[in-house]
Amino acid sequence: MSEIVPQVPRARDGRAPDVFHVGGWVPMREYADDDEVDFAIIGTGAGGGTLACRLSEAGFSVVALDVGPYWRPLEDFASDEHEQFKLYWRDERIVDGTDALQLGRNNSGQSVGGSMVHFAMVSLRFRPEWFKARSQLGYGHDWPVDWREMWRYYGEVEEALKIAGPVRYPWGPHRPRYPYRAHELNAAARVLARGSEALGIKWAPTPLATLSAPRGDAHPCVYRGFCIAGCSTNAKQSALTTWIPRALAAGAEIRDLAMVGRIELGNSGRVTGLHYHREGRWRFQRARHVVVAGYSIETPRLLLNSACPRFPDGLANSSGLVGHNLMAHSNQGVYGVMEDEIRWYKGPPSLAITEHWNYTDEGKDFHGGYSYMSQGPLPVEWVGTMTGNRGLWGEALQREMQKYIHQAGLKIVGETQARDENRVRLADEKDRFGLPVAHVTFSYGDNDHRLIAHAKRFMRDSLAAAGARDIWAEESETAHLMGTCRMGDDPSTSVTNADGRSWDIPNLWICDGSLFPTSGGVNPSLTIQALACRAADRIKLLAKRGEL
Amino acid sequence: MRAAKLRHDRRLSRLPALLSAAPPSPRPKPDVQALSTRAARRLNRGCAWLSAAVLADSAVEHYRGMFFNRAMYAPLAVSSLTLAASVHGGSDRSGKSHPVRDGIYALAALTGLAGTGFHLYNVGKREGGFSFENLFYCAPVGAPFALLLAGLFGRAAERVRDTAPGDVPQLFGLPAGRALAGASALGMMGTVGEVGLLHFRGAYHDPFMFLPVSVPPAAAATMAAVAVQPKRPRWRLARLLLRLVQGLGFAGVGFHAYGVHRNMGGWRNWSQTMLNGPPLPAPPSFTGLALVGLAALDLLEERHD
Ligand SMILES: Cc1cc2nc3c(=O)[nH]c(=O)nc-3n(C[C@H](O)[C@H](O)[C@H](O)COP(=O)(O)OP(=O)(O)OC[C@H]3O[C@@H](n4cnc5c(N)ncnc54)[C@H](O)[C@@H]3O)c2cc1C
Ligand code: SF4
Repeated sequence: MSEIVPQVPRARDGRAPDVFHVGGWVPMREYADDDEVDFAIIGTGAGGGTLACRLSEAGFSVVALDVGPYWRPLEDFASDEHEQFKLYWRDERIVDGTDALQLGRNNSGQSVGGSMVHFAMVSLRFRPEWFKARSQLGYGHDWPVDWREMWRYYGEVEEALKIAGPVRYPWGPHRPRYPYRAHELNAAARVLARGSEALGIKWAPTPLATLSAPRGDAHPCVYRGFCIAGCSTNAKQSALTTWIPRALAAGAEIRDLAMVGRIELGNSGRVTGLHYHREGRWRFQRARHVVVAGYSIETPRLLLNSACPRFPDGLANSSGLVGHNLMAHSNQGVYGVMEDEIRWYKGPPSLAITEHWNYTDEGKDFHGGYSYMSQGPLPVEWVGTMTGNRGLWGEALQREMQKYIHQAGLKIVGETQARDENRVRLADEKDRFGLPVAHVTFSYGDNDHRLIAHAKRFMRDSLAAAGARDIWAEESETAHLMGTCRMGDDPSTSVTNADGRSWDIPNLWICDGSLFPTSGGVNPSLTIQALACRAADRIKLLAKRGEL
Repeated sequence: MRAAKLRHDRRLSRLPALLSAAPPSPRPKPDVQALSTRAARRLNRGCAWLSAAVLADSAVEHYRGMFFNRAMYAPLAVSSLTLAASVHGGSDRSGKSHPVRDGIYALAALTGLAGTGFHLYNVGKREGGFSFENLFYCAPVGAPFALLLAGLFGRAAERVRDTAPGDVPQLFGLPAGRALAGASALGMMGTVGEVGLLHFRGAYHDPFMFLPVSVPPAAAATMAAVAVQPKRPRWRLARLLLRLVQGLGFAGVGFHAYGVHRNMGGWRNWSQTMLNGPPLPAPPSFTGLALVGLAALDLLEERHD
């Protein structure tokens, strides 16, 4: 079957796709390559999309480029898991390490809107102490930002995405009421709730970036469970359906199907713009500032690919840290069979959560924390788990698949430690644009293994307490990526400052998941967006002070 | 609930005063019998709206719940009967109660009470117990309440109808007008509670969602004031507010129809969006309650004339 993927850019000739209407368009301001725009942003995901919106609303001229296509979910997304693989980053990358990452599906997207277009919408705040993990909890690194400030920006992002969350969130300091109410639990979520109540720990409906009531032209969720295959109703609140329409309205230009290959450094020690490939040729966009927001693999890859005589090891890499300390959340699942029909594919996959082990420090033989959530894989994904992780095949696989509607499961988002040897560097192979591809090395460390073992034990107990039988646990699985260009207070041990401004080049910025010094036990997108909002406010302030 | 006749001595003692009433009223004296029948019929019509709302709502919601439990047919059967009895009562000009209607209303009240119990049980046994989320999504505690109200107000209608000529109808040992004014205020606040909960679930995403939690409470407050101190100047305001509430019941259906349209596929996909969207049959409960309030005011007018 051939996929339906736009082959030519849609955002041009003064208009961009209107994501809310089939065949619709909205007006878009355009800049010439020769216009020196205030900000050229590479990547339009959680970091780039948010920043493009906030900077254009602040009056800056912004061009945001993404190598991915510009979708209209209502017409481009099919109820077909295979078709929707088109949302993943599928360009070649090389992986190794004892826990080599499977790149694409579960960790990187390639679309206007970034990985959020096929993300699972779980929208969680960091535990306050994690921002000072080193000084308060004794592991990892301190973040250069204060949790109270982040708390304010979390509030802004939750409002922008109309997060649907519980009336009372049982962990952490007070937070404002979620803009929309939590969704109804599906049976899979109730399994988590029952297990938690039996074990005496708290649980909650998961705060999700999908609408529980109408919002403008976006429909509320229809609970068909296609979330990580993209959401064809626009109930999902991703960068594509929230920040980017706002950015366009505020005068930003979005360039789809535009691959940035290199950032140019001028004689003055400042970057002058970027080389990008669109419509079959390389072009150069001039810019006063360049922001890299390509996520934890593509951001270091671009910086390394932009090496020049002055920065032979890659732009902004005087610390030698660009590409290092890659973190991938551990994401092992524990599964069992229930007596009742569960039909776990109904609704968003993770409707219930417990953050118990994020907020409890006693009884742990490891650093860090983990949350776990109820699960709801669609059939193709589940077959992948059964064959890949459980090694079933043939008749055994068929027998097991027949239990699909009785299946329930729990999966962690586990904090992994930042380790120097987990890294992104350049390979000799070239991609379709002739650019060296990323070589990604990842292995779990001892602490990570202890955390995973603890989580698997606990989730087994919880499933058993909820009445599941035939319980088994997944060996290797990873989710969200973080790190590779960590922010910090010290230029010798970090790549950027708290604003994402690189220490080496004052008009080169980073704004995405690669800034994370530690990974925390929660999904990262809310924190990435909060950092982007914060960066925008800081840029506004610096501009006012003449310090840009 | 019983309509208590005024005691003979009181009636007799008032008679001379009535006869010698001077100056003569310019308006023709209303026919007391006709007035209480009129009020009773209005009450019946209020019950008709309430039971129609329950019938349509429980049909849709219990169908959605696949009649998982046999008892889920009960509200359909009972609210159908209540609707029939209320339509009958609404057009019945007789000055006497009807035993079958009366019986049906008693059944409605009992079913409503039992339903509230069932729904509470359904919420309480869910993981998380009586949390907001369970109150949003489990069996709605407020829904059977409308049937309870239909039953109670229906019984009241029958008692009011039984008032002998010249008597002031009574309920709970109070003049019926005051008792019903108070009861309609309570009923309205109960319904406002349910609407408030469900509109909170919808995050008041549309400002019009505030209407049914602001106008009816104003009407209920005025009716409560009328019940406590039935002074004439309040009636006009009460009537105005009740008319607004009555209209809101109809307008609500329109708003909810618009809400259905905002779900994926809109009205073309009605078989799903009607289930997922706001309930079309819910708002007319307010129309029914407004009619009950208006009937209470009718009775007060009667008493004072
Ligand atoms: C299946 C899945 C489920 C997830 N579920 C959740 C969840 O429930 N909750 C949560 O918080 N997070 C979730 N995430 C993670 C979340 O989506 C990411 O952490 C977040 O989107 C990362 O934001 P970012 O801005 O760093 O990068 P992205 O959102 O990935 O955006 C980067 C963009 O940059 C573009 N790009 C990269 N390099 C270039 C270049 N050289 N030129 C042009 N364009 C370029 C890419 O095409 C991409 O669109 C999930 C991710 C996946 C894949
Ligand atoms: S379940 Fe809801 S959020 Fe997920 S794809 Fe369907 S409509 Fe979108």
